[in-house]
Amino acid sequence: MKLVLSLVMLALAAGAALPFYYIVVNTFKTPEQSAISPLALPSPFTLQNYKNVVNSVPLLQSFGNSAYVTVLGVLATVLFGSMAAYAINMRRTKANRVLRLVLITALAIPFQVTVVPLYEMMVKSGLVNSLSGLVVVYMAGAVFCFFIIDGYMSTIPKELVEAAKIDGAGVVQIYARIMMPLSMPVLATVAIFQTIGIWNDFLVANTFLSSSSKYTIVLQVYSSVGEFTTNWPSFMTLTTISLVPMVVFFLIIQRKIIGGLAAGAVKG
Amino acid sequence: MANERRPDLRPARLARWREALAVQAFFLPTVLSFVLLVAVPSVLTIALSFTNFDGYSFKFHFVGLSNYRALFSDPQITASLYFTILYAVATTVIVTVIAIPLAVIVNINFAGHKLVRAVFFFTSVPSLLVLALVWTYILSPLGSGVINYLLYGLFGAGPVQWLSDNHLAQLSVIMVGVWAQAGWHSVLYLGYLQSVPGDYYDAAVVDGASVMRRFFGITLPLLAPAMTVSVVLLMISGLRVYELPLALTQGGPVYSTYTVTQNILLYGVSNGKFGEGSALSAVFLALVIAVLFAIFGVLRHRESRLFK
Repeated sequence: MKLVLSLVMLALAAGAALPFYYIVVNTFKTPEQSAISPLALPSPFTLQNYKNVVNSVPLLQSFGNSAYVTVLGVLATVLFGSMAAYAINMRRTKANRVLRLVLITALAIPFQVTVVPLYEMMVKSGLVNSLSGLVVVYMAGAVFCFFIIDGYMSTIPKELVEAAKIDGAGVVQIYARIMMPLSMPVLATVAIFQTIGIWNDFLVANTFLSSSSKYTIVLQVYSSVGEFTTNWPSFMTLTTISLVPMVVFFLIIQRKIIGGLAAGAVKG
Repeated sequence: MANERRPDLRPARLARWREALAVQAFFLPTVLSFVLLVAVPSVLTIALSFTNFDGYSFKFHFVGLSNYRALFSDPQITASLYFTILYAVATTVIVTVIAIPLAVIVNINFAGHKLVRAVFFFTSVPSLLVLALVWTYILSPLGSGVINYLLYGLFGAGPVQWLSDNHLAQLSVIMVGVWAQAGWHSVLYLGYLQSVPGDYYDAAVVDGASVMRRFFGITLPLLAPAMTVSVVLLMISGLRVYELPLALTQGGPVYSTYTVTQNILLYGVSNGKFGEGSALSAVFLALVIAVLFAIFGVLRHRESRLFK
């Protein structure tokens, strides 16, 4: 019975993974071979597509841009969110609870609702077509981080804070030495969500970036479609290369994310 | 307390105030980013939607509901509203119907269950835009089109014009959306399943309940809170859909897969029709809020009934 289940589920998973096989296997074929048998193993095996892509697409630049906005965006949102979560956990006053409720409305307001005036505001501040400007827009994600981190921080026993106060710790010390280290599991989960979200972002980046030297890797792939319409194995190669960081990231955080998603969800 | 107020308590009170102020300061970055990036632009969007502001001239004035009237007589807009709602509802229903049984199954300890879980989850990790671009090749009627290749090889059928027929294009966008999201949501359900105490099932087995009875009688009700979270996330991300149809069909054929988001950006940013773009944003906001209230209302009601 379990063997049948194994076989059925592995077959279904193979079906779901077929697009990934398709992407990777075609990177080692010539365009002619791909057109005749898109699913066959490559014969002859060629690395020409990789040479094409490396020579025609500014990969390092795009990866660098993606890394820049992702690192800064994740650091800023997680830092801001954790600070606000700390504040409400130190002083759960009526006013602060109202503030929390007001902040949470941001989760229901999609970027699309704010984009028209936001774009104008960014133009006026000279933040359009700038990677740092993009990071500024990503800072709106602080509210999401705040919401998730607050759920976790509220389970940390208050006695720890009281004990630290008696030992003479100040507000900043309690945040940095007690609450942050104890919140590590949720900080990791939130950082993972933010990393995937910002690295993969297309909507915001495509709205605010216009010159190709500023393109993140996702924008780079999008803008290269036209270049490779006739040579689609090369396009698959660019796709494969663009996915490598996320695959590595996934392998590193896989256990964490599946456990963390569960923990975060059950708590929230 | 009051009559005990002595001068030497003043510094203590001052210190409490200073501490409170220091704590409140920790709200500052989040509150600032909320005000500048969310609250102010949202209010401006609603205000702009009643004006004929064109982005350049500051001589704009109140035009009442004319932007809204223009929206509902524009076929590109009405088509996008229809498809956005269709996509959101269809992906929510189909993903939920797939994700719950998938979670129950991968919770069983069969050989390879961790691999299966990881593979289904992985589809939600890469950029949806990049995956959608790959799907344009997979669904293509040309040589790269694996689906048509398989259809021809197995049944001698095809080629099917997946992306150039109105209804098939809508179906394709929805199916790719389901493929990309089902695994993530099944992991969400899995988290809740793993917190269900095993004795519920032991008792049911002793009582002789069948597998189906156990699924509908125990598992599904216990997953009700997870369902609230999952359905809300699916509906919101469904209504916000943008890059998937953009990459797969560019909104076509004709207007059949245009989305609200695509139109907001086209009207409000690219074409400088700020009034109409803002009006569409405002309609969109109303839609999102209505959906959230409706789902919370229905699902919370269901939860409370189940747990009585």
